[in-house]
Amino acid sequence: MSQPIVVMEAIVKDFPNVRAVDGGRFDLRAGEVHSLIGENGAGKSTMMKTLYGLYAPEEGRIVVRGRSFEALTPAGAISLGIGMVHQEFMLVRELTVLENIILGFEPRKSGGRIDFAEAEGRVRRFIDDYGLHIQLHKKVNAISVGEAQRVEIIKALYRGAEILILDEPTAVLTPQEASRLFEILKTLTASGKSVVFITHKLREVMALSDRVTVMRQGRHVATVDVSATSIPDLARLMVGRDVFLGVSRADGGAAGDVVLSVEDVFVPSDKELSKLRGVSFELRRGEILGLAGIDGNGQSELVEAIAGLRPVEGGRIRLGQGEIQNRSPLEVRAAGLAHIPEDRNARGLNRAMSIEENLAGMAFRRAPLSRGPLLVVGALRRFARRLIETFDIRPARPEAPAAHLSGGNAQKVVVAREVDEEAQVLLAAQPTRGVDVGSIENIRRELVRARDRGTAILLVSADLEEILSLSDRIAVMYEGQITGLLDAEGADEESLGLLMTGGALP
Amino acid sequence: MNKSSTLSTLVTVVVSLLFGAVVVALLGHSPAEAYRELFRGAFWGRFNFGGTLERFVPLLLTALAFAVSSKVAVFNVGVEGELYLGAIAAAWVGAALTGVAAPIHIGLCLMAAMAVGGAWAAIPGALKAYWRVNEVCVTILANYVAIYITSYLVGYPLSAGTGVPQTAALAATARLARILPPSRANSGLFIALAALLVTWWIVHRSTWGYKMRAVGENAGYAEHVGIRSRVTMVWGMVFSGALGGMAGAIEVMGLYGYFLDGFSPGIAFDGMLAALIARNDIRLVPLLAFFLAALKAGSLGMERFTGIPKSLVDAIIAMFILLAAMEGLFLFRRGARGKEA
Repeated sequence: MSQPIVVMEAIVKDFPNVRAVDGGRFDLRAGEVHSLIGENGAGKSTMMKTLYGLYAPEEGRIVVRGRSFEALTPAGAISLGIGMVHQEFMLVRELTVLENIILGFEPRKSGGRIDFAEAEGRVRRFIDDYGLHIQLHKKVNAISVGEAQRVEIIKALYRGAEILILDEPTAVLTPQEASRLFEILKTLTASGKSVVFITHKLREVMALSDRVTVMRQGRHVATVDVSATSIPDLARLMVGRDVFLGVSRADGGAAGDVVLSVEDVFVPSDKELSKLRGVSFELRRGEILGLAGIDGNGQSELVEAIAGLRPVEGGRIRLGQGEIQNRSPLEVRAAGLAHIPEDRNARGLNRAMSIEENLAGMAFRRAPLSRGPLLVVGALRRFARRLIETFDIRPARPEAPAAHLSGGNAQKVVVAREVDEEAQVLLAAQPTRGVDVGSIENIRRELVRARDRGTAILLVSADLEEILSLSDRIAVMYEGQITGLLDAEGADEESLGLLMTGGALP
Repeated sequence: MNKSSTLSTLVTVVVSLLFGAVVVALLGHSPAEAYRELFRGAFWGRFNFGGTLERFVPLLLTALAFAVSSKVAVFNVGVEGELYLGAIAAAWVGAALTGVAAPIHIGLCLMAAMAVGGAWAAIPGALKAYWRVNEVCVTILANYVAIYITSYLVGYPLSAGTGVPQTAALAATARLARILPPSRANSGLFIALAALLVTWWIVHRSTWGYKMRAVGENAGYAEHVGIRSRVTMVWGMVFSGALGGMAGAIEVMGLYGYFLDGFSPGIAFDGMLAALIARNDIRLVPLLAFFLAALKAGSLGMERFTGIPKSLVDAIIAMFILLAAMEGLFLFRRGARGKEA
């Protein structure tokens, strides 16, 4: 067994009012992929930002190749061969890919000029060695997310990284891009580089890594060989108890009347005319209709069109008795719609407000939360406490600012607000994206409960496992059209995958 | 506002005063003496303290006006124009109406001023909400339009016919009582404090305020939960303009007793500074407005007794703005970094 090249011991890191990491421990061997997993807020990113020198720990020791440090700086970390690809890319959008890669480390010619030919030669070597296909002379704002990530990886390698830290790299990728990334990482480790892979997707951990370290609430829980563990084991270590992600479908019985019908709807997107081209489906009382598809095939536009947030070009949408296309969001909601939006930061939450004010986003219009123009503070607080308890939102303080919520708890606030409306129809767009395992379980359970109460749910998800485990019927979208509609019993990943990529079922 | 940002506001105040002390020392005076006279000039005796209160009222109301518009994400530089229009509206109602009981007359004057100020502010509000026209440009330019409109009105239709461009004197029933003679402090103070409470209540305890804050802080969220953000933005500006108009009305009804051409030396801009230093927190606005008012009032006494120019106070206030804008300066990093053990 090779000697570890990085050892982090007894790391303690405090933020105002929070101890983010408490006794963190981590080690990395040459040539391995070591996954670091944990729920949102478990301290994974903080731990690795400490290694990359972005944070100075209060206590603890970092040993890199036998040299011991109390704390590192990013410049120091880079000179030790540590590189990091952050969740949010650190690229200058107005510069070309090549300029971004060499920024700060430009090869020079006489007279202080940048030697672009030399730079390009060096970068090409990485492209060829590791199969990192990128277009060097395009501006960053013209390339895809997957390509931007490869640019970040090359940037780290160009700076001499032997140890590569990737912070939730697959969160922004399509499944195809993710599998490409995994191949790249395997080439990297085969040539002796080491990879730290931060994630909370357990299947990726099993597929990719050699060892895995689990963190929970800032503490080190376990470090195990992947060959000696399983997904349920890891989930239990992460959450601290048994987890059942596949919600048992209590067989909601026969679905009821049609409550939402979409007929031949055409919708333009921001860039394309007619992003949706003649979409029709019906949604019944007491059922979950899963809408599967690769991101960007029109699911977002469909949801926004139904919710009144996007104009409809042609076709009809009926909710209950009336037509709701091209009505304002308030009118659509009054007709009986609730909506968990796909982006909780852009639409789902108001981070400047408190948790209770976010929970009351709909209910503040009615008694008992308001009387006429007056908000009733006591009723607001009781309302928030009830939802916080039902949905297990932490911190459980109604007056705490929403800005401090972790991803999972922020999403629970959104779900709580929308599910509590007990509307006829609930649009749930990516309800568990970027959310930790414990919260996923909680959110899925609440969706099924709402279904059992008779709510008709349209579940849009990029996660096939979620679609398969929750839906009664499944529709697949491809390039703005519904290419298939099947019963959940007859569906599996293969048949859905085929429909999602434009194939037809035999 | 949390504890640490209140603390950093406090640090801002202290550092600015220290800066002022250094400047005074460089001018060859004693900083201790300068600040003593500044303090006396602001608080010693009925006249001086009254002078502070007299400046506090319009500063508070214009700062509130700015803070309210910022709740709906509009940067309203046009409060000065709203103040002028409100002032002349109050002057007209105060002089044209006679034979009404004082409380009703005062109420009518204030309502006229608020209506005119609110309507004027609705223009940039609607331009921004419906056509995305930059409100900073519009409100700055609208100030000139508003001030020249009042100049025309006071010069011709509403002129008192004296050599000075001013309107006819208000009826006695429209005047606000002096509370600390011989200073000009008046019962407008209580109207302003009531406006402060009502404004806080509306912004933080009413459904309308909830909508305003939702729109200002995250318009996408507001739209999602069915709040009509454009309408809310326009009404937020009407609210802001009404407070600006009220500030002008109290100046006319409490200080002058008539409208005087060009009476305001940019009061609303000082109010805007108070709101900016308070980061638009309605609870901090009165403290900052009072602090600026005391500085302004005290600077007269300081100049009279020490010879230090009163524009020093403007330099201190400018220092505030700079420091408030770089609050990161006071966030110290703990621990040495990059050290090899």
